[in-house]
This record gives sequence, C-alpha cells and structure tokens, in this order.
Amino acid sequence: MAEMIDDELLVEQFSRGDESVFDRIVERYSADVGALANRLLGWPGEVEDVSQEVFLAAYLGLKRFRCKCSLKSWLFTITINKCRSHRRKQLLRLRTFSRAADKAPSPPAQTAHENPVDVETFNRIRSAVAALPAKYREPVVLRYLQELPTDEIGQILGISQNALHVRLSRARKHLKGNLNQQIER
Amino acid sequence: MTEDKIKNLLQEADRMAGPPAQARVDLSVLRRRAGRRRLVSLGGSVAAAAVLMIALGIWSLTIKTPEPTREQERIITLEAQVNQLRTSTDAALALIHEVLEDERRQSQLDELEAKLASIPDPLEEIRKQVDKTAFILVYQADRLYRELNETKSAVETYNRVIRLFPRNQWAAVARQRLSEIENRRI
Repeated sequence: MAEMIDDELLVEQFSRGDESVFDRIVERYSADVGALANRLLGWPGEVEDVSQEVFLAAYLGLKRFRCKCSLKSWLFTITINKCRSHRRKQLLRLRTFSRAADKAPSPPAQTAHENPVDVETFNRIRSAVAALPAKYREPVVLRYLQELPTDEIGQILGISQNALHVRLSRARKHLKGNLNQQIER
Repeated sequence: MTEDKIKNLLQEADRMAGPPAQARVDLSVLRRRAGRRRLVSLGGSVAAAAVLMIALGIWSLTIKTPEPTREQERIITLEAQVNQLRTSTDAALALIHEVLEDERRQSQLDELEAKLASIPDPLEEIRKQVDKTAFILVYQADRLYRELNETKSAVETYNRVIRLFPRNQWAAVARQRLSEIENRRI
C-alpha cells in the first residue's frame, strides 16, 4: 500500500514537470520488467532492448497515467505489449533469414544438485512454453512465474476472470500434451 | 494436481534459466530518444498539416468545373421545363381560386338582393293603408247617410276624411258627398 501511495506521488510529481523522479521509477521496477520480459520472450530474451522500449513508452505516457491500476500493473501491460511486438518482429526476421537463428540457447551450466531439471528437460519446457500462443503464454507467465493474483492479471491483460481461467486451463492442456513425460515423472 | 506439477516444472525451468542479465536502462539515452520521439511526432503532425494544406491549395487551383455531358444538359433542360410548368400551374391554380371566390361573392350578393327585393316598400305600404282607411271611412259615412239616414254623423265622418287625408282621392269623394248633401239641403 505504501508503495502504491509512493507511486502515486512519483506520478504526480512527474506530471508537474519534475522528470527526475522517473529515475526512481526505473530503479524500482526495472528488475521486475526485465524478469517478465525474459520469461515472456522465452529464457533468455532480448531483455535490454525490450526494457528500454518499455521505459521509453512509460516516459512518454506517464503524464496520461490515471492511477486506475498500480504503476507496476501498468508497466507490466506495456511490457506485454512490447514483448508481443518484439516477437512479431523476431518472427518476421526469422522468416526472412531462414531458421538458422532459431537455435535454442543453452542454459547456464549448473550442477545437478543446484537444479533438479536437466538441460534436455529445460529445452523441452522452453519449447513447450514458446509453442504456446501469446494469449495462453502470457497468463501462464503472469500466474505461475510472476505469481500475480488473478484479478491483477485480468487487469493487466484486459480480460475477465472467467476468460483468464479458461485461458489458463487451455494453456495447461497444451503444456500437459507437450510435457507429458516430465509431468508423469 | 497437474496444475501444481506444471507450476513446479515452469518454476524449476525459470530458476535454471536464472535471472536476466541486469537490464541496464540508460536514462540519458531514454531521455534523448523521448525528446526525439516528441519532436518526430510534432514534426509529423506539422508536416501532415502542411501537406494537407498544400494538397488543398493545389486542388482548389486545379479543380475545374467539369463540362456537362449531353445527358446532364438534357436533365438541366428538363428541370427548367418542369420548373416552368410548375410556375404556370401555380399561376393557373391561383386564377381558378380567384374566379371561384368571385363567383361565391356574386352569388351571395344576388341572394341578398333577392331578399331585399322580397321586402315590401314601407312608404307604399303606408300609402296603401292610408288609402284603405280613407276608403273605409268614406264607405261608413255613405252607409250612415244612405242606409241609416244619419246625415249629421255622415257629414262628421266625411269632414274627418278631408281633415286627416286632404290629398287622398277619397278626400275628393268626401268633398263631393258633402257638396251633394249641401245641395240637397238647399
């Protein structure tokens, strides 16, 4: 709650013309925005470019922000939109210059006891999540990885609770189909 | 159950992928880009408005009234004829209304005149009544004198007729009767 009030004050100050407060907003939310972008773009994504775009859009639009939702939710909405357009651009690039670039990046080397998931499983999960249509992938990331409450997710995605539950259920069905072996284990 | 498993798998994969390399948001670059964006959007609007103005100017200068085709000319002629017909029809209708109104007024006048004609002339009526009264008086006086031999009453009545209706024809008859009575007395 204190954070929200603080956000409101920052926004108000920014609207009055004190653009230096934007540094604090970036400092506070850049990690969250980066993490969400990374997850939406499929471990790892071009997080730096997307984050720059997100905060640029926020900088240009902050004066129009009316505090109907939290600043974090608003930034997450922008992040989702920027990730969508980033993926679209990526797809266009891939179609233009063959599919050679679509190699799965290898995960960071970790020992078995540090993480129970092996490289093969990681790649499978990554592929399964990447194969989800955006309308299913976004709720999955927000719910299971960002662990946001459903009402906030609905607000960010601009959909009703019912629609959100339907999308989550369908996303689980997709994932279950693709990760049956890992789930059964 | 499946939901929990899927959630666990996703979270494990997320942990394995690790946090993203600290995304550095360069604020000076961001401000520079924002300024450029604002300038571009403003410039875009100004340019669009300028292009629109130029296009409108060129359009207004170059636009010509297209020559009417034969069909358009025919339509124009027909429209003019229709308008003319409409005008003459309106005039004819107005004339008809005027004539009908005149006729109505004339018939009202005739009716009033007929009524007036049916009313008897009051002077003539009075004259007739006077004549009738004078006659009755002379007639009564004649009866008094000839049938009842009441000469005195008859003379009074003849004198009354002469006094009341001096210019009436029966006054002349009354005078004649009085002279006859006078002559007989002599």
